[in-house]
Amino acid sequence: MLARRYIYRVIGLLVLLLFVAFFGVPLLWLLLAPTKTDYQLAHQAPLAFGSLGTFIHTFNRVINYQGGLMLTWLKNSAIYSGGGTALALLAAIPAGYGLALTQFIGRRTLLAVTLVVMIMPATALVMPLFLEASAVNLVGTAWAVILPFAFFPFGVYLAYIYFSSTIPKDLLAAARIDGAGEWGVFLHVALPLARPIVALVAFFAFVGDWTNYYLPFVMTYTNSEYPVTVGLQILIGSAPIFSPTASGYAGSEIYRPDLAMATLIGALPILIIFLFAQRTLVKGMLAGATKG
Amino acid sequence: MATVTFKGASRIYPRAKNPAVNELNLEIRDGEFIVLVGPSGCGKTTSLRMLAGLEPVDAGDIFIDERSVVRLPPRERDIAMVFQNYALYPHMDVAGNLGFALKIAKVKKSEIKTRVAEAAKILDLEDYLDRKPGQLSGGQRQRVAMGRAIVRQPRVFLMDEPLSNLDAKLRVATRSEIAALQRRLGVTTVYVTHDQVEAMTMGDRVAVMKDGVLQQVDVPSVLYDSPVNAFVAGFIGSPAMNLVEGTVGSEGVAIGSTVVAVPRALKDTAGTGKVTVGLRPESLELAGEGAGIPAVVNLVEELGAEAYIYARLAHHVDQATFAATPDFIVRVNPKSAPKSGSAVELHVKPDSMLLFDADSGARITAA
Amino acid sequence: MAVSDERISARRRRRAGGQRGGLPAGTSRTAGYFFVAIYVVLLLALGVAPAVYAIALALSTSGGVGVSHFVDTFNFFEFLPAFEHIAEFEGIWLASQTVFVVLLALMVHTLKRRVSTAFRLIFYLPGAMAGSASAIIWLFMFTPSGSPFAFILHGLHYQVLSNTVQPSNLPIVFAIMAFFTGAGGWIVIMYGALNNIPDELIEAAEIDGSSALQTAVRIKIPLIRKWIVYMLVLSFAAGSQLFVEPQILGVATNGQVPAQWSPNQLAYYLAFQQDSFNNAAAVSVDLLVIGLLVAVLLVWRGRLFEVE
Repeated sequence: MLARRYIYRVIGLLVLLLFVAFFGVPLLWLLLAPTKTDYQLAHQAPLAFGSLGTFIHTFNRVINYQGGLMLTWLKNSAIYSGGGTALALLAAIPAGYGLALTQFIGRRTLLAVTLVVMIMPATALVMPLFLEASAVNLVGTAWAVILPFAFFPFGVYLAYIYFSSTIPKDLLAAARIDGAGEWGVFLHVALPLARPIVALVAFFAFVGDWTNYYLPFVMTYTNSEYPVTVGLQILIGSAPIFSPTASGYAGSEIYRPDLAMATLIGALPILIIFLFAQRTLVKGMLAGATKG
Repeated sequence: MATVTFKGASRIYPRAKNPAVNELNLEIRDGEFIVLVGPSGCGKTTSLRMLAGLEPVDAGDIFIDERSVVRLPPRERDIAMVFQNYALYPHMDVAGNLGFALKIAKVKKSEIKTRVAEAAKILDLEDYLDRKPGQLSGGQRQRVAMGRAIVRQPRVFLMDEPLSNLDAKLRVATRSEIAALQRRLGVTTVYVTHDQVEAMTMGDRVAVMKDGVLQQVDVPSVLYDSPVNAFVAGFIGSPAMNLVEGTVGSEGVAIGSTVVAVPRALKDTAGTGKVTVGLRPESLELAGEGAGIPAVVNLVEELGAEAYIYARLAHHVDQATFAATPDFIVRVNPKSAPKSGSAVELHVKPDSMLLFDADSGARITAA
Repeated sequence: MAVSDERISARRRRRAGGQRGGLPAGTSRTAGYFFVAIYVVLLLALGVAPAVYAIALALSTSGGVGVSHFVDTFNFFEFLPAFEHIAEFEGIWLASQTVFVVLLALMVHTLKRRVSTAFRLIFYLPGAMAGSASAIIWLFMFTPSGSPFAFILHGLHYQVLSNTVQPSNLPIVFAIMAFFTGAGGWIVIMYGALNNIPDELIEAAEIDGSSALQTAVRIKIPLIRKWIVYMLVLSFAAGSQLFVEPQILGVATNGQVPAQWSPNQLAYYLAFQQDSFNNAAAVSVDLLVIGLLVAVLLVWRGRLFEVE
């Protein structure tokens, strides 16, 4: 009896470790690859450590690639994600409040539509959005990326759940009796209490925007417009290892450590956010669909 | 059916200063209904969970019948438990909840059905067998939780504050139902509550705990009449016993400037000096001027058949500790209850006074 | 008669309940519009309008309104394979993700809190690599020379990347990539859902004689079932839109992975390589309908979401 339980535990632990390897080894590799030269990468053990000097050298190569293209991409990512997140907050927080705590005709319909659009994968709308954006001549501008990012029904739903479950109606009634108008009630009572939900919506919006590939891929045309996700694809295209026909300028080819470094840099903001936001993530996702 | 024996059983939580349960010794007879009672944090629930196997026993031993159970997992102890929040499986209907333990034990389907039907009949749940717990009222859920224990036909029932989620009226009704059911089934039962009225009305015997230590275990009347210490005296009884500081002198015990006579034998063991005097509300009566402890009535509580006055003893009125000194509660005849604000004198009925050591709180009894 | 009366009064009661939760009398009924205004404008402009526009484009033919673009695209030789690819990918991915996510969440949930936090962190950190980053990392992982998983690849007699990503392997390859970035978040969510099961319930099962395994199967999994369904449905919808992974792999393998591997790629190809917006719109509408169907189904039948 006891022996059998012991065996189960050991098997369980082995399975866990197997998956730790599956999820962890690629990340570890990504961290180690830029410490090696392309030659070392191909001939040393995959998880061997090269040198810190090489790491810095690789970093500089990537940052200076084609006159700082990487920085341009990062800047674009920041503009798209930052702008999209800011606008998403501006729309979602009042909307969640309105849906939860005010009464108007069409409220339930709006809520239902929000749910449907929230579950529908955003990617499904990208091509139609492109067709629409090109009809109004927005393609090629930052707005073609930022505006679709601003439309964030999941954020509206999160705010709706938050306002309807954590803010007692009596509190708002008290504010009204104290003489506050509808706008005043929102601004002075609801909003100060909404800080956690603002952070939560911002987190999901920013992470989603930063890692989005398809929308900017369709909406942007040139190197100077790409965010870092799309930029990475350009790098692969200039890496002789994957694209033998790639004809970079002499000395500006992309090698494997460079590619790993670029991937690491591109994901770094999100990695950092993730490291500090695990609890927020759980809370938000569980709030995302709980009913009794 | 079985006996349960705690032998010096202790539970010490990691990083805790004092044991949650400190060397509990308790023998529970076959078929007995015993109630563990005490204020929150006294270790009563922990004791129950140790018996259930949900909490480890760090020292000592626990026996069901002659067999030590501390190394057995809960499922091998042949016990059933009713939880405070009922712990009904929300995804199973009432029949599923009642039959779950039997299903796990691989009892035949037909037999499960019979036993579930039996339990449902006893608890008046027959019409709800296909409902989910979410569709039941609080009282019905409580009965399902009871039913789940009954179906098992275990050796011991464990109940952890099973009435605390019911409203006051239902609680009183269910109290007597559970007690009657237990007597009918004759299964040894350990029942935990913080409500001393519940304890006194339900238990064959009541075990009073405080700070992880068992204070006294006895039948309700003995707990009421001769508590072993000031804590038990104050905890048992409603309204609570009046506890006041007194000084033993040659004449008797002085409460303020009034001296109350004490039986000789008791005075001998008490010696002289400070003691804590315990007086039940019914041990006092209103007396004429100069015949008792002077006091001022603060509040009169009329309950119909009886009345209680809350009076401030005269020698307490001017004290700086005014707010901290509780009122004296005295049972009076509602027909002749004094008005609030009036001055009264309280006479102690003969032989009704309890004395406790001023420091340890231990009862002082006649030698 | 009695039944219908009962039903009506139940409905009335429900409605009354809704109002009780509503507003105190005298509160403005127009303020609500003001709060949702920005969002509604975005919803109409960026949610509804593009969908309507795409449908209009897909339906407008040289001879007026018709379904010829749908018929045309259906008859493309890339069309059916693209949907077959997606179906195969979804099958592999959803099955393995469901099994592993539930298993890992249950296992992690039995660990001590601090240990489990570490495990969960490792599982969900790859989520930061969503999008092209994951595709690039796995490009390396799937390249037999230099991959930490080379021993497995060599065991399968793969010598170069193109061996690993041969056409018959692609659904598995993309499933691994999707699992890598997506599973951790779901494990964290399932873990949270498991934490929401009251301790008392697990203890009750234990006292009822249930072993750890029985408790997992009979109590825990049924109680997180709605989350499993939620995960399945959302993942299915997201998976139907697969784009970045085959796209990156296409670039990295010099076209060994065709640029019309997935339906979304096909739509892109039709729009930008064939300059046929109408046909692209038709494929997009096909995909939109899948996403919409799933969403509507989940919202109305799943009872997963708090609407009131």
